[in-house]
Amino acid sequence: MSALADLRIADFSWVGAGPRATKDLADNGATVIKIESRKRLDLGRMSPPFAGDPKDFDGSAFFAQTNTSKKSVTINLSDPKGIEIARKLVAWADVVVENFGPGFMDRIGLGYAVLKKIKPDIILASVSVAGKTGPMAGFRGYGNSAAAHSGHAWLTGEANNPPHMPPLAYGDVVAPMFLTVAILAALEHRSRTGEGQHLDVSQIEPMVHVIADLYAQDRAEKAGNDDPSCRVHGVFPTAGTDQWIAITAENNAQAEALKTSLGIAALDRETIAAATQGQDKFALFDKLSAAGVAAGPVLDGKDLSENPELLASGHYTKVEHPVLGLSSMPAPPYVFSETPGKIGPAPLLGQHNRDVYVDMLGLDGAEVDTLMREGSLA
Amino acid sequence: MSMLAGLKVLEIADGLTDFGGRMLAELGADVTVVLPEAPQEKSRERAWHHGKTRVTADSAEAIRALAQSVDIILDGQRNGDRFNLATTVNPTIIYVKVTPFSPTGPYAGRPASDLTLFALSGLMHVTGDPTGTPLKFPGQQAYALTGIQAATAALMALYARRKTGKGQGADLSAFQSTTLANYREAVMYEWTGRIGRRQGNLLVRGKSGVRQIWPCKDGYVTWSMIDNPSMMRAVVGVMIEQGAAGELSEIDWGNILVADTAQETIERWQAVFGTFFAAHTRSELGRWSLERGWGLSVIMAPDDVRDSDHLAARGLFVPVTDEATGESVNLPGPLFHSAAMDAPRRSLAKPVPASTLAAGAGR
Repeated sequence: MSALADLRIADFSWVGAGPRATKDLADNGATVIKIESRKRLDLGRMSPPFAGDPKDFDGSAFFAQTNTSKKSVTINLSDPKGIEIARKLVAWADVVVENFGPGFMDRIGLGYAVLKKIKPDIILASVSVAGKTGPMAGFRGYGNSAAAHSGHAWLTGEANNPPHMPPLAYGDVVAPMFLTVAILAALEHRSRTGEGQHLDVSQIEPMVHVIADLYAQDRAEKAGNDDPSCRVHGVFPTAGTDQWIAITAENNAQAEALKTSLGIAALDRETIAAATQGQDKFALFDKLSAAGVAAGPVLDGKDLSENPELLASGHYTKVEHPVLGLSSMPAPPYVFSETPGKIGPAPLLGQHNRDVYVDMLGLDGAEVDTLMREGSLA
Repeated sequence: MSMLAGLKVLEIADGLTDFGGRMLAELGADVTVVLPEAPQEKSRERAWHHGKTRVTADSAEAIRALAQSVDIILDGQRNGDRFNLATTVNPTIIYVKVTPFSPTGPYAGRPASDLTLFALSGLMHVTGDPTGTPLKFPGQQAYALTGIQAATAALMALYARRKTGKGQGADLSAFQSTTLANYREAVMYEWTGRIGRRQGNLLVRGKSGVRQIWPCKDGYVTWSMIDNPSMMRAVVGVMIEQGAAGELSEIDWGNILVADTAQETIERWQAVFGTFFAAHTRSELGRWSLERGWGLSVIMAPDDVRDSDHLAARGLFVPVTDEATGESVNLPGPLFHSAAMDAPRRSLAKPVPASTLAAGAGR
């Protein structure tokens, strides 16, 4: 049995910031019902790479890896009959998750006050760029907005250089991790008190939290790859085009081991780079690791896909998907001794309509067919 | 009442669990942290260990004794095992063992640091300028990401314990935790055969690359020409009002795919946007973005973040006092907003020897 085997999630979230949190829960046994609509497609379904035709809503590998182990139903949330079905899912759920723009859940009649009337101990978990309160509560942003508003972009790179944006929407990674923690903590609170609550996660605040050590400095400065607390802390060239290795020596013993391994007498950047630039990054990683020096080859996408440690540890789990075929999906980074997780395929759009509406909620099959035909469940 | 009030946590810290223990403490857990052998930077101590009971490992026996009375152990030793807790804990305890790599894989036992883990994650390869050295993100992101996963694993096991009454072990890999954050590079290679490269501040989509960073009158903002017609119309609408739209006012953004537009055309349009942004302040541009839905963000320096009206209204920064010096520093406090969140202890405690704490607990 997985850790969250009896947990029920009604997941209204889309793209990245919500779905990554509900993936955490689904991969560990929670029943996550992803509420989607053909009339307002999850943009993740239109995000590359694709297994084939980009117009096939079920063929996005981006969507597949973000939504493993979930079920999908379709509801038109602009249709009152659709909202009625959504309310039935709320009544079934322990947790409702959403990452819509400000006020959307209220406008469609699924605000927290309404949800609480439907189910008094419901947990509503919301994630948005700037949170639900404060002067920027209505801010309409996209993936990297939080990098700008948190100081990340300003603090990335070498001193005196312009700001540098992360190469991916890092706020869409960190915020859902906070959302997962928030949901799990709220479930513990509910088990003690019987109370649900509304969790309001902003993308900006988690991005500030993960650089709290810089905010604890008297004056936060850009440091590039440097860390003055280490004897060596840098990234050095190795053999081949655009091949690099990161090396750190946190103490004198590691610094001496590094000198011995590289056959050098000094630890300035130029001397180390001269010693590393002709060496294969993986062979040097092996050599320095054996000497007790922390090192890490700078891996690219191909290196990651073929990495023996990631493959051996099950980081990429092979999952059979109706459109993608047998494909690699990222697994949680932890392994439980008694409650192992299990990675299943991402759902096709509306794949579980009948299972959920008829078998689980007990609705009449003919009625469901009618609602689907009329577009309320589309 | 806080969500995790009364929950007892023992953390063995050396970077990997620091933020995970901090999250649990912020949520109300009673966290005792065993400090690493090597002294930590003061800023890192303040950031990661405030709100915890800090102990020095003067006695392995005392650490093992403390471990007997907790609900959760976060063991983040990077170099060896000083305390051998795995064999001594009782069956109701949740024991999260965090190591740089998986315990049985080919990299098991190798040394690692935040920088080397970040290099291995694939994120460094795509961060920085095309001709420059790969860059890390600011701070210690590999450690932070791993810490959050440690807190997650502990809370999942706590949920399971509510049902079964039993604790369990969890092995957590920092390499996997960091790599999990890289949602793009491996999957792009697998499905397209393309290997991502560093693009600086260029956002490359389809045939063209668009700028992400723009100088303005008093700093920088981030915004990109993306295929979002309503956002494009919102920006150009203000530019028309300001008499600064030029040829942009003639473009039907609903029928243009930026990703399919020739780079020279993109450059010409971007020059018009660039002139407009350069003529206005961050405050003006930020206000238009908020009111008109541009998707533009002001690039905030650390002092701007500390002084942000929005974050002040949300109560993000809180004063934390160093008990040893009496100094106070403003640090991020609440992790999110919730009805069940009393403020935890807002101080960096003076370290006490583990033997003293264990003797007190024994009494």
